Amino acid sequence: MAAILTPGTHHIAIAGAGLLGRLVAWQLLRDGHAVTLYDAGPLDAPPAAAWTAAGMVAPLCETSISERCVHDMGRFALTQWPTWLEALEAPSLWQQNGSLMVAHPQDLGELTQFRRDLDHALGGDSPCQTLSGSDIQRLEPDLAGGFHQGLYLPDEAHLDNRTLLSRLLEAIRALGGECHGHCPVETFPGEVATAEGRRHFDLVVDCRGTGARPHHPSLRGVRGETLHVQTAEIRLSRPVRLMHPRYQLYVVPKPEHRFVIGATQIESEDRSPVSLQSSLELGSALYTLSPAFAEARILEQGVNLRPAFLDNLPHVTHQQGLISANGLFRHGYLLAPAVVCHLLAEIRGHGDQPFADILAARPPQETTA
Amino acid sequence: MNARDDDTLTLYDETFGSRFLLGTALYSSPTVMQEAIRASGCEMVTLGLRRQNPASGDGDAFWQILRDSGCRLLPNTAGCRSAREAITLAQMSRELFETPWIKLEVIGDDYNLQPDPFGLLEAARELIDQGFKVLPYCTDDLVLCQRLRDAGCQALMPWGSPIGTGLGLMNRYALQTLRQRLDVPLIIDAGLGAPSQATEAMEMGFDGVLLNTAVAKAHRPVQMAEAFAEAIVAGRKAYRAGLMQQRQTASPSTPTVGQPFWHRAGS
Repeated sequence: MAAILTPGTHHIAIAGAGLLGRLVAWQLLRDGHAVTLYDAGPLDAPPAAAWTAAGMVAPLCETSISERCVHDMGRFALTQWPTWLEALEAPSLWQQNGSLMVAHPQDLGELTQFRRDLDHALGGDSPCQTLSGSDIQRLEPDLAGGFHQGLYLPDEAHLDNRTLLSRLLEAIRALGGECHGHCPVETFPGEVATAEGRRHFDLVVDCRGTGARPHHPSLRGVRGETLHVQTAEIRLSRPVRLMHPRYQLYVVPKPEHRFVIGATQIESEDRSPVSLQSSLELGSALYTLSPAFAEARILEQGVNLRPAFLDNLPHVTHQQGLISANGLFRHGYLLAPAVVCHLLAEIRGHGDQPFADILAARPPQETTA
Repeated sequence: MNARDDDTLTLYDETFGSRFLLGTALYSSPTVMQEAIRASGCEMVTLGLRRQNPASGDGDAFWQILRDSGCRLLPNTAGCRSAREAITLAQMSRELFETPWIKLEVIGDDYNLQPDPFGLLEAARELIDQGFKVLPYCTDDLVLCQRLRDAGCQALMPWGSPIGTGLGLMNRYALQTLRQRLDVPLIIDAGLGAPSQATEAMEMGFDGVLLNTAVAKAHRPVQMAEAFAEAIVAGRKAYRAGLMQQRQTASPSTPTVGQPFWHRAGS
């Protein structure tokens, strides 16, 4: 593989300070490069999907609704995240207690179907375990008592994603990265255009998610809605997913008695506030999981767009002086390690370039970068 | 894979070579959906706009994929719980997709998503008056279906069983009655899980099959779309060919006249 950059240090621009942008900026700074990071929104509460997301790293849960390669990249994430968090001196942001999947008695068919889909995707060796009602109580004593059957998905993890994004920004600044919030850009090979004019770089990395539409005609946004609630009345040790014939919602515990419940998935690029229907669905899912959520306070209603290509898989496209990584869809924290490691190996010109068969392939129906 | 050219499906004076209508929800990605549509050979796809807000140009990327499929779009009113709601949504769909076609759904029960026959009839009358080409998703009740026909529906879509259950044709008696008593095109909509069930519906003389979950949630949706397409063609051919009458006693296909008497039945 030919290195994109000649040996030595270079000045690299990163467009988009979401999860990908921050990880890539941090890693390139650690490699000794000079990095300038741009985002159209504020850096402390970025408009990125990664800020709205719940921060799950759940390769098994997600496999049933996507493809096998999502699982494989997700397993890669399970080993990569702890290494990175160690380097950020923030290992406590990572919680790996598995995840739990429950359904009402009338919806148990959903669990069976999930298991069948998973066994099929993994070739019959899925590590998920069937739980009885008392197993569920033992794992999560605060859950409502009405769940008689469930599934436990070992190894799955979640991370405190907002703190992680803040820590990454701190690390970037500490390493001398130049950061510009509220600065929309357009990217070109070796150049970034801001309101002030054009600026030359040795390399431009475009991680703008749905903001990179001009480069990717087939990229679309898929609306997702979440609720952030807070209550001290209930404790959960792991993400819990409620299976239902028409939606799959998960609640993820966060520090300070916070919980994120999400997320709807609607084929729309509408960024307007959460609809009443979605709010009811999210709220009643929480209430179903435990009536103790009844008195939780709604701190925030989140809406964002997941950037997705037509195959709902991520792709890294590359031309001289400009690399784009995009399309992580609903799997930001699950797929970011694979995408970032792939991209870094390409920039460095050495090291394993993982998952090249998927990531280096052109997005479907896009013939030019 | 379509039936012969002389055996087309006519809905509201328009002809279709395929008797397979496919839904566009629940696929793992738009790419998989596109491939399944192609494999199904269908000429009409349903789509819901209940939870999108396309009036503001949102969701355009997804609509464009459907338009590019070359299929006629059949917007539905999925999720509507009253006639008024369904009528409003139908009007929005007509404007947005520039089509008078509507798959009319008025849901009466939240859990099994059973159509509300009363709201359905009310909405169908109103929409027909407004010039819509209404394809009502209905139960298999004969009198309801007669009323819908009398209201001006030129095709009906009775359920096989509740949406997404895969239980197949739950009430063969009622469906058989509909087929015998109604001379409008009848499309089995909802509840089919296996291609054999689609064949069964076609053998009974139904004019087409509409489904979504059975294809979208298969481990290999594209292959399943093909399987259904073949099953529908097989069932249609069998219906046209005329099924033999079932009998209680065996009736050998090889003449027995020349056989020695000790090989005959009863000897």
